[in-house]
Amino acid sequence: MKTSIVITIAVLAQAIGNTLLSKGMKDIASQPSFTDGFSVMMLVSAMQDPIIWGGIVLLILFFACFLSALSWADLSFVLPATASGYILNVFLAHRYLAEPVSTSRWLGSVLIFFGIALVAWSTRSTNVKQEQSQDSSAPDARGSETC
Amino acid sequence: MLTAIMVLMIVSSNAAGDVLLTRGMKKIGDISALSPVDLLKVAKRVLTNRDFMLGVLCLSVSFFSFLTVLSWADLSFVVPATAIVYVVTIFGAKFILKEEINRMRWAGTLLVCLGVALVCIP
Repeated sequence: MKTSIVITIAVLAQAIGNTLLSKGMKDIASQPSFTDGFSVMMLVSAMQDPIIWGGIVLLILFFACFLSALSWADLSFVLPATASGYILNVFLAHRYLAEPVSTSRWLGSVLIFFGIALVAWSTRSTNVKQEQSQDSSAPDARGSETC
Repeated sequence: MLTAIMVLMIVSSNAAGDVLLTRGMKKIGDISALSPVDLLKVAKRVLTNRDFMLGVLCLSVSFFSFLTVLSWADLSFVVPATAIVYVVTIFGAKFILKEEINRMRWAGTLLVCLGVALVCIP
């Protein structure tokens, strides 16, 4: 239950944080002083923008939740669970930033989610194999101690 | 074209940052200190570790590149496109950190590549 809550907070914080960063940067880029394109001053303005800071705080919250979850839960669970944030990011961009999202972009995000899940699953299989090899060598070690 | 260059910069600096942080933390060793004095010693070891500090610098470059590209590109494109960092990090883990990568992990990496390719279709 604790893991689910922390991961839900992490996923929401990352997706909303990224959405706020995107909204803040596009607002800054649309200001009359920046119509000529990107300049370093845009990043200076960004550091004074409350929306950007909202995004940064949420990304720090994501990182804290991610690290906390890793301290008690398996990476093979935490990684794919937080990777669902990719799909949520696309949804929020479509819903709140009015970005046009094609079918291939939706499909691509879903494939990325499954790809990360597979990578995480491979991590779990590696750990299980390592534990089994340790278990199989353990009785010998105990035996030699008894002898 | 500029967006592609920025995504490449985000991905390469992020992957380099991850690999450098991992190498730095492996050199620093397990952190199991609980007392304030021990924690200060650990903090000193972390902050004087060249790999760790370079890793932080790389991740800062990645974050500011991300902010920059968001000023003109779609979030629904940038976030999935930067997922290719999983692939670059796996190569970094294999060839720089000498980690073993099994078939399933390569398969997952391939799926991420396919997903990113689909996202990049205009």
